[in-house]
Amino acid sequence: MAIENNKVMSVHGAISKFVHDGDELVIGNYTVGTCAELVYEVVRQCRKGLTLYSQSGIFDVEVLVGAGCADKLVSTYVLRAGGKKGGSAVERAMNAGTLQVEDYTNFQYNARLVAGMHGFSYIQVLEGAIATDIFRKRSFMGENKFRIIKCPYTGKDQLTVPAANPDVCIVHVQRADKYGNAQYWGALGSVAAAALASKRIVISCEEIVEHDIIQSSPHLTIIPAYRVDAVCEVPWGANPTEVLGYYNMDQFMYGLFMMMDGTAAGLKTWMDEWVYGCENRVAYIDHYVQKFGSKILDGIRCKPFYSAPANYGSAFTTRWDNDGRERAIGMTLSEFEQTLKERGKLYE
Amino acid sequence: MSKPYTLQELLVIAVAKEIHDHENVILGVGLPTTAGALAKALYAPHATLMMESGIIDFEPLLPLNHIADAHSCRGFSYATDLFSAFTMTYRGFVDVCFLGVGQVDKYGNLNTTCIGDYYKPKMRLPGSGGACDFISYAKRTVLTMLGGEFVERLDYFTSPGYLDGGNSRDQSGLFPVGSGPTMLLTTKGVFRFDPVTKEMYLSQIHPRITVEQVRKDVPWNLKIADDLKESPRPTDEEIDFIRRFAPAMSAGRELAMELTIANLMKQGKGG
Repeated sequence: MAIENNKVMSVHGAISKFVHDGDELVIGNYTVGTCAELVYEVVRQCRKGLTLYSQSGIFDVEVLVGAGCADKLVSTYVLRAGGKKGGSAVERAMNAGTLQVEDYTNFQYNARLVAGMHGFSYIQVLEGAIATDIFRKRSFMGENKFRIIKCPYTGKDQLTVPAANPDVCIVHVQRADKYGNAQYWGALGSVAAAALASKRIVISCEEIVEHDIIQSSPHLTIIPAYRVDAVCEVPWGANPTEVLGYYNMDQFMYGLFMMMDGTAAGLKTWMDEWVYGCENRVAYIDHYVQKFGSKILDGIRCKPFYSAPANYGSAFTTRWDNDGRERAIGMTLSEFEQTLKERGKLYE
Repeated sequence: MSKPYTLQELLVIAVAKEIHDHENVILGVGLPTTAGALAKALYAPHATLMMESGIIDFEPLLPLNHIADAHSCRGFSYATDLFSAFTMTYRGFVDVCFLGVGQVDKYGNLNTTCIGDYYKPKMRLPGSGGACDFISYAKRTVLTMLGGEFVERLDYFTSPGYLDGGNSRDQSGLFPVGSGPTMLLTTKGVFRFDPVTKEMYLSQIHPRITVEQVRKDVPWNLKIADDLKESPRPTDEEIDFIRRFAPAMSAGRELAMELTIANLMKQGKGG
């Protein structure tokens, strides 16, 4: 078939088309490789009323909450800049009454997406949390944050959480092909579950590679093409966070962000320059290099340490051997056809 | 007499000694990763170091920036996902885990979620992350409290220690029998838990610290071990390892931050 199912788009186009006001939006990445450019574009396009899911709601959540894009947050971990004296966009928004937060543990949060990914309506989680305020104190999920059921086999009480199926996942990976097969390696975290639980998937990647590369390393593919809506090639797309094999964490830019995030005015100043002030990642990197030179970015490029290739080879790739004979039947194609004719198998 | 050391180096060593050879260890960020590296280098060469992000059996070359930092090790033996990291803990395959503390009560119950009201927090702390599930199901949990506080009552109950003390944790039926926190490290000393009452007591005190100074931080009548010891002086080998592996750890958070910011400013200007 000659249908070209090419999903390559610009970041602007992908966010315009697939992220809508009021969506449940999940950040696919967990701590590393944050889809920073996709997050910035959501901010630049001023999405409102999002219910944000982020496993570790740190840099990504601060930017989205600081910009006023989200009014609900489901997370397990949030960032605080500047320790006791500092603050965070999340803390400021909770106190202003503009953000409701539902706290889960890492496992519970991930389990909701695993249930969603597999099509289950709920999933068992670890019952120890029943003793804690994570179970007792509830926000917008109310009764549906957790429910306790009786195991039909053991009769024991089990703690459960409901499945999550966010409207859209934005996620950054190392590489993908133009069809959307997305390859990711390193700390696997909860990346696959976040993407596969979601109704739509927008991928950004460091590089778009030939389909052949994907086919020779399918163990690295965590999201298959048929689930993906858009693929955006965005080198440095996760800066200031890191992408294994491409670049390390940018301590300088991360430090700049952390110094500013402690106050609303500081975060706004930082975002005016680095989010609103750069129309895309090319402009962002240009501005970065213009302002600070290229030494910092050059210094965090990864040196190669390649995975040993896994041999996906086979003894042969056709039913016909080197002499043109079928490997089991032992005949050439013309001998075979002659036999089919003699045995009355062919319809004239 | 060994060479001069910093308090921070002494703290790392106290934590590292909680890791025994051949154990499966879940490390947290900061002091525990350096402790894990030190233990693996000097005391527990067969320990399997693990991070909840799914990085399993790694040899740290640098102190990890966070729990998903695969850049700080050159490859690792098993790449799994977060879900499986917790279910293997639930099934009993994790011997010891390490958690940081915001607030702790006398029975080792923890708050890492907020100071003040949960819905309108005076200070919003990170949250549970993996803490609640790890302390529930790891065989032992080591607590490190560098900036936190002892309280009579937690502002928010994030992670279960010994609940109401005595055998209440075991009796709840929610946890593996015998699991729970075994040690709390602060900048002043090492605390352990009474085997019967499960109340924490001071078992070891750091140099230059008096018992009165420790008591000042604790709002209840703190019990002190009959055989209270001073934390042992680090050896040259231990000091050298930490200083080379994680110089910022030797300096302590504040000094390291000050020096780092000064250097960042210089880099920014220099281009």
